[in-house]
Amino acid sequence: MSKHTDIHEYLAELEDIPGTRIYTTKRARQGYWLNQMGMSLMKPENRERWKADERKYLEDWPMTDAQKEALLARDYNRLLDLGGNVYYLAKVFSADGLSFVQAVASMTGMSVDDYKAMMMAGGRSPQGNRSIKGGY
Amino acid sequence: MARITAGVATSHVPLLGVGIDQGKMEEDYFKPIYAGYEWSKRWIADPENKPDVVILVYNDHATAFDMNLIPTFAIGCAEEFQPADEGWGRRPVPVVKNDADFAWHLAQSLILDEFDMTIINKMDVDHGLTVPLSLMFGQPAEWPVKVVPLAVNVVTYPPPSGNRCYALGEAIRNAVESYDKDLKVQVWGTGGMSHQLQGPRAGLINKEWDQRFLDDLTADPLRLRHIPHIEYLRETGSEGIETVMWLIMRGALGGDVKELHRHYHVPGSNTAVGHIVLEAAP
Ligand SMILES: [Fe+2]
Repeated sequence: MSKHTDIHEYLAELEDIPGTRIYTTKRARQGYWLNQMGMSLMKPENRERWKADERKYLEDWPMTDAQKEALLARDYNRLLDLGGNVYYLAKVFSADGLSFVQAVASMTGMSVDDYKAMMMAGGRSPQGNRSIKGGY
Repeated sequence: MARITAGVATSHVPLLGVGIDQGKMEEDYFKPIYAGYEWSKRWIADPENKPDVVILVYNDHATAFDMNLIPTFAIGCAEEFQPADEGWGRRPVPVVKNDADFAWHLAQSLILDEFDMTIINKMDVDHGLTVPLSLMFGQPAEWPVKVVPLAVNVVTYPPPSGNRCYALGEAIRNAVESYDKDLKVQVWGTGGMSHQLQGPRAGLINKEWDQRFLDDLTADPLRLRHIPHIEYLRETGSEGIETVMWLIMRGALGGDVKELHRHYHVPGSNTAVGHIVLEAAP
């Protein structure tokens, strides 16, 4: 290995992206049970139990109350803040019958139609969306 | 002796599999996406170009691996792999058959070359692996090539650096060339290009950055090799980091490569669909 990476600088930069939660080890640890619960919904029998009584299903998972409430409310941005990762949360929204586009649109504050129109027009510009500190 | 003849890179957006599985290829939304693969399908069907084996670099999306086990580089060594049920049922695509002798050879050769691979046998393969096969081969009863799955962690940070991916590609080339059977091998890099699937910044697309990346696969691979993670994230969205996997493909092709075909289209779902075919250095 030619050089050592400054881990603190590396991690600080990951937090400098507007509207984004990079899935760092800290978040992975915080969201471990939240994400594993999402994973459990890959099994049809678990999806049935989840749909029958969501609150009861969550009793089996050692999550924080905040994580449980955000899950029940399908507050995906809050779930990202609490250590959720989108590929695990996808098991929750796909159990709800939502596509990636529908679920992702809900995190942007845009309607699904407006979000789709933005994508058809070439997507969100990186301009002004690259750095919180730098504002570029 | 086995040899690497070409590299293919492509996005692996789940929706592109859905479009094929559900016969939507002629619909307005899908048509321009699939049009860019027509050349590639003809090219790879030509016996002159068709490989015996594809080393298919992809990432698992919380399907075979969950938070319990996060291998940075994993190589599939079993005889075959089932298409995964990702929550919507299994994709109606053939079982993925491996060349297990070759895969084990690669694993041992890479480990001796100081790439500490995780060897995996029982594993279902998700859209990251099966969508590229569908894009290149359509809907055959059996995949016409053997496939060695090479899974890269790009979900939990930190993923491997671009430089490390490129170096793994170089080691793959050596490993292939030390295999004594006469095999034609392609290396595929999948995932990317620009996309962000989370938070208020979701939907970010950076055409200029993506196009420059495509250009520099031939013009300046050394630049690509040293792009830091933060640049992928700032410029191409949080899931744009997947593009780093293309560098394993590029590293495996050697010095001077030739671009044979390129395709770029926005959008495919939330994503900029990028695709390139490269001829390996002799
Ligand atoms: Fe992916």
